[in-house]
Amino acid sequence: MAFRAWIPSPGPYAQLQREMNRLFDTVFGRNLGPGRVRAACVYPGTNVRETQDAYVVACEVPGLEMDDLEVTVTAGQLTLSGVRRSSIPDEGATLHRRERDTGQFSRAVTLPGPVQSDAAEATLSNGVLTVRIPKTEESKPKRVHVQVDS
Amino acid sequence: MTKPTDVAVEKHDAATEPPESYFVPATDVYETTDGLTLVAEMPGVTPDGLRVTVDENVLVLRADPAPADEAGDVLLKEFEVGPFYRAFRLPADYDAQKIDATLKQGLLSLRLPKSDRLKPRRIEVTVE
Repeated sequence: MAFRAWIPSPGPYAQLQREMNRLFDTVFGRNLGPGRVRAACVYPGTNVRETQDAYVVACEVPGLEMDDLEVTVTAGQLTLSGVRRSSIPDEGATLHRRERDTGQFSRAVTLPGPVQSDAAEATLSNGVLTVRIPKTEESKPKRVHVQVDS
Repeated sequence: MTKPTDVAVEKHDAATEPPESYFVPATDVYETTDGLTLVAEMPGVTPDGLRVTVDENVLVLRADPAPADEAGDVLLKEFEVGPFYRAFRLPADYDAQKIDATLKQGLLSLRLPKSDRLKPRRIEVTVE
């Protein structure tokens, strides 16, 4: 008997469902090995770093082009929205597996400090969007010169 | 109809060895009159880090993404950068020798044409 994975719709239970599918596959002989399924509950998966002079936001958006994405930076927030298109033709295709989610998305990331929103730069490279948002001059760390009385 | 299925590769060599830990790329698989198409999500992967091999109808995808810039303090971490790996057993109806692979914005598309012996062909009838 063949167990066919049910591909869940996007949502908070998708990751759990996928993990369950993988467990069933392991038990019933379709072993995927020790691999992990990359399934973010919130799309796109996002990393945020803070450097001395900027906040750097990286998002995994495989298959998307700059035209599919809209990035907005305001004083305290970065908003990313867009649409994930299906690669499967509407007609004439027999579907064996659909694991890539599609549809519109929007998410916001709160920036912890004041930024120069008009100086933000976004680059899209190999399916990873990187937005660099410089901090305001006032919020950058300042070096204080210490004078030593001898 | 035979479907491509996930398999654990039993016979390993350097090209098909799975990494110690890896991500399984989300993959769409569909069939048209032209052949079979697989579309796999591999964000951060460049053509240099990608290896696609076919051996005895087992298709192995292995990719090592370019290392991510990690300067600064981490404020939010929702994804990790690591290798991708997945193996599929292909139905015999496809010509794995004529596989066509393209990688665009972290999306790998593989197209396998139907093997010639399955294409409809006209038999010429000779009249004696």
